[in-house]
Amino acid sequence: QAIDDDCNQTGQLLAAMLDWPQGTFASRVELEDGAVRVQREVDGGLETLRLRLPAVLTADLRLNEPRYATLPNIMVAKKKPLEVIPAADLGVSGGSPRLKVLQVQEPPARAGGEKVESVEALVEKLRQSGRI
Amino acid sequence: AMAWRAAPRAAARLLLGRRGIASCIDPSTGLTEDQKEFQKVAFDFAAKEMAPYMAEWDEKEIFPVETMRKAAQLGFGGIYVKPDVGGSGLSRLDTSIIFEALSTGCTSTTAYMSIHNMCVWMIDTFGNEEQRHRFCPSLCSMEKFASYCLTEPGSGSDAASLLTSAQRKGDTYILNGSKAFISGGGDTDVYVVMCRTGGPGPKGISCLVLEKGMPGLSFGKKEKKVGWNSQPTRAVIFEDCVVPVGNRLGAEGQGFSIAMQGLNGGRINIASCSLGAAHASVLLAQEHLTVRKQFGEPLANNQYLQFRLAEMATRLLAARLMVRNAARALQDGRQDAAVLCSMAKLFATDECFGICNQALQMHGGYGYLKDYAVQQFVRDIRVHQILEGTNEVMRMIVARNLLQG
Repeated sequence: QAIDDDCNQTGQLLAAMLDWPQGTFASRVELEDGAVRVQREVDGGLETLRLRLPAVLTADLRLNEPRYATLPNIMVAKKKPLEVIPAADLGVSGGSPRLKVLQVQEPPARAGGEKVESVEALVEKLRQSGRI
Repeated sequence: AMAWRAAPRAAARLLLGRRGIASCIDPSTGLTEDQKEFQKVAFDFAAKEMAPYMAEWDEKEIFPVETMRKAAQLGFGGIYVKPDVGGSGLSRLDTSIIFEALSTGCTSTTAYMSIHNMCVWMIDTFGNEEQRHRFCPSLCSMEKFASYCLTEPGSGSDAASLLTSAQRKGDTYILNGSKAFISGGGDTDVYVVMCRTGGPGPKGISCLVLEKGMPGLSFGKKEKKVGWNSQPTRAVIFEDCVVPVGNRLGAEGQGFSIAMQGLNGGRINIASCSLGAAHASVLLAQEHLTVRKQFGEPLANNQYLQFRLAEMATRLLAARLMVRNAARALQDGRQDAAVLCSMAKLFATDECFGICNQALQMHGGYGYLKDYAVQQFVRDIRVHQILEGTNEVMRMIVARNLLQG
């Protein structure tokens, strides 16, 4: 999930463009010979995949505990050189957005529910609305 | 769907809120970007590595060597010591900010770390190149720990009347006497000892560095204290203890001056520890006032308590400014630095004890239980009004400046 649009796409897009396997929401990564074993955080729990290398991984916050910055490193950080590379130097053209926002709308306001008298009535209502 | 990280232990959770950011007592106001970074590391370290254990360290009287070594790896072992011997080369103000933040995690442990830092600085500043390189690196990494030995059973406030004698014999000194109330004594490795090589008074005092294991160096029983229980306190005893002349810092007769210069910084550090304890206590009180209900509403709805909290915050900020002002004066080498350090130590330790004590009162009966952190802050900072120069001695120094200066 990118910090700007939260779209959860960058890693997946990259994997598709490269045609490499992907392991997203990684909470544990173990390198094996020519492959990587990735434990993923998914809605249902944890999923473990084994991917041949090279692969694209995206990190879940459970993957690592960030280190503390040391005092000397904090002081040195300001003096690190910041190299600016124009996109053209890398042979990358464009850089203008390719996404166009057509419409933004709120989800429909939550309507009131309905009370039913019996289980049979409940099942009937659910069938009628196409839920089951 | 993104599942949120499970909440950490209740104590640590409360601690992550101990920064009090974006409030009138935000400790990061007026700091440079670098200082805010140092402060953030110190607060994070305090919240995760110290706060969850401060009660256990107090109850079981554990000297948390491994935790302090972790802190040293981040550069907290020799904060204002020069980098060529392993220090972080930071300013007195940077140091104050760091100790204030660490103290919110465990005041007692942070106070010991400040004493350790003071000793390393003394060796770094007054030692010759050989001594600096021999002692400082392992102290900065906290592979070894240090203790400051000035007070004796017969000389506390009247420090210059100390009796521990150091008789010159060839290229050694033979030490006889004892020191009292030494923080870390018996568990630490390096002892910076003020002793008498000459005549009476301050000019007869020299500073020697001793190491545990030297023949004739022994320790008294571990003292039982009201607070500061995460650091052992013992008497240090010298019986014909042989110390090489090469372990003397500076010249003969310079020892008292070295001791006092060490204490200027030490007083800022101790005051900073008090600030941290008071800051944490104000936040604990604030939380309690919003959560606890009596007479049908949260305590925070009572004007008396609102006013009390406001007073606590105001005094905390005043104390913090005193301490930071003194730190700046010391690092700038100003003439008035020593007296400002005394004023800051006096004011901050007194005010902060009052703040922590009121925070305890606001907790009602719960404040008296060891399950709640506020009582430990009260117990731990009570001694800050006594050591590194009693607050009475601080008044002597200020009065002297006004009436004789």
